[in-house]
Amino acid sequence: MFEFITIGLTPPLLIAIAFSLPIFTLVVKKKLFYDVYALISLTIALILSLYNYYLVFYVVRGPIVYPFGGWPPPVGIVYEVDALSAYFGVIISVVMLLIGVYSVWYLRGVSGYEWYYTLLLGLEAGMIGCVYTGDAFNLFVMIEVLSVSAYGLVAFYRTSHEAIEAGIKYSLIGATATTVYFIALVFIYGTFGTLNMADIAFKSRTASEFPFSGVVVGNIHLASAIALALSMWTFTFKAAVVPNHFWLPDAHPAAPTPISAALSGLVVKVGVYAIIRFLYTIYGLDTLQPISNVVNLMMKVLIVLGMASALIASALMIVQTDIKRLIAYSTIMHVGFIVAGLSLGTQLGLEAALYHTINHAVGKALLFLSAGVLINAAGSRNIDEISGVGRYLRLTTLTLILAILSLEGLPPLAGFFSKLLLYEAFISSGLAILAAVLIISSAFALLAYIKLLYGAYFKLPTRDFGKIREEWTYLIPLLILTALLVVLGITAPLFVNEVLSPISVELTNPMKYITAAEKVIKVLGG
Amino acid sequence: MNINIDEFLANISLISLIAIIGISLYGIFARPNIIKKIIALTIFTDAANLLAILVGFRRPPSIPPVLLNLQPSPEDIRYFTQVAVDPLPQALVLTAIVIGMAVNLLIIFIALQVYRLYGTLDVRKVRRLRG
Repeated sequence: MFEFITIGLTPPLLIAIAFSLPIFTLVVKKKLFYDVYALISLTIALILSLYNYYLVFYVVRGPIVYPFGGWPPPVGIVYEVDALSAYFGVIISVVMLLIGVYSVWYLRGVSGYEWYYTLLLGLEAGMIGCVYTGDAFNLFVMIEVLSVSAYGLVAFYRTSHEAIEAGIKYSLIGATATTVYFIALVFIYGTFGTLNMADIAFKSRTASEFPFSGVVVGNIHLASAIALALSMWTFTFKAAVVPNHFWLPDAHPAAPTPISAALSGLVVKVGVYAIIRFLYTIYGLDTLQPISNVVNLMMKVLIVLGMASALIASALMIVQTDIKRLIAYSTIMHVGFIVAGLSLGTQLGLEAALYHTINHAVGKALLFLSAGVLINAAGSRNIDEISGVGRYLRLTTLTLILAILSLEGLPPLAGFFSKLLLYEAFISSGLAILAAVLIISSAFALLAYIKLLYGAYFKLPTRDFGKIREEWTYLIPLLILTALLVVLGITAPLFVNEVLSPISVELTNPMKYITAAEKVIKVLGG
Repeated sequence: MNINIDEFLANISLISLIAIIGISLYGIFARPNIIKKIIALTIFTDAANLLAILVGFRRPPSIPPVLLNLQPSPEDIRYFTQVAVDPLPQALVLTAIVIGMAVNLLIIFIALQVYRLYGTLDVRKVRRLRG
């Protein structure tokens, strides 16, 4: 049980590292110290999450449960890492490390870097905690850890009107959303008598007795319907699916550029992760009759909302003049694709959604980071005012174009294969209209991207930008992200077979998740 | 006429709880003043916490979840499991209150910053962003 200490160690260690950083501000003032501290911590997180991935995929070949304090699952808090959690953990830590390297360049001349790094590390700790936890209440706590860091980072430029306004909007509604999830948990606890995910999954499928937490009380169908509806509201808020997307186009551009990349690429994916966890593991299409109807209905609603997100966001992308807002709307569009794909309820749809998740995380981070370089050089975020600054920053423009091509879906790059998989998944589910929406919204997005590229590169420079030279500090993360896009694209069949199909098989047969927890109970509980 | 006082109190608290949730959501989404929004948010959080406490509550006769004997006999434990209220929701609420305090402080700081920058807390006058 305790040989898998890295599973339980990763999130608490990261939280400890993140929130002990302010102590150093009393004695150290040098920026170099904080850079090194953050990079070392992010590297540790990457190594730990890669090791956890190795454990889950190659050593145990199934979910790993880490019981905190030696308490068996429904009694104590456990971390349960299955293939899905390990996959998301690796995406998060890889992209966060590259964002950390970029931040070293970005934060030159910006005061308050020590608080920036504290919140950045807190954000990563919260995200990894969200994906590793096996306890629904601990998920609430981790969402709050991640949200507090995100609110702080959005309002980081506290003298800027835009940042403060986006911050108050995001934080007020965000705090309401997480409280709604807390109410959902109360309904779950009131009927199921437990908050352990494996335990709820077991009871929603059999309604029989589980060790330590006893039997269900009252009407589990009604309570599950209420809990699902409330928690889906929270998670679609976090993932910015259409009726709840209003905060994203304000919050993501207002943050510092590396944070925009982290919020757009990763934080919305935590909402996607929670939706998958609730619709496939905790509840699912194989649950007891009335509950599975609710899950089915929820999936239908999410398909409609996902497609609405894609259409609305891609139409709004065209009219944007602010580069970062344009990219933020593109996030809403891609999350719409992902949510629609995972709500098909088929293995193919799930694989396509998960593949698009990693491609969008890498591609969107690359797009934001390279656009950030151009914005920084031009001193403006307006498409009309950056006027050909890309001519002086050729490598950066190249990575920007590659990111756009990948998100649009040009064959050798990764985005093409995930869009192709999504297309196939929609067609094979008999929903040709979704495939049409996929193509139409991609076409709209292309128009917006052409406008962006025209402003950034093809337009003749109207003013003198002074001396601009490209620097390796930001080119290294940009080139690594580009390489990732190419590698993900070239190895697409291998990636789908080796990584995505084990995840989707495990998600469609959640008994493995439950038996892993039961095994721990047998060992610890006698 | 017989009125069951326990049932009456339980119903009253449930109905008022639902009313409070409705009123506080109205406050968060419809009131223009940010401070009033924050007050409504804290009321909403407290209503959620009260709901959690009610789920773990037991109709009287009930006792707090504390064993007074240091060396309890089996009878003590049997009596305890029959009358003690559920301690887990109380632990959840303690955690939620602590988290809520941190979030509220952050939001209040941002509201203060809004006041410093705009000179007003009315969200209708703060709107510069569109879309």
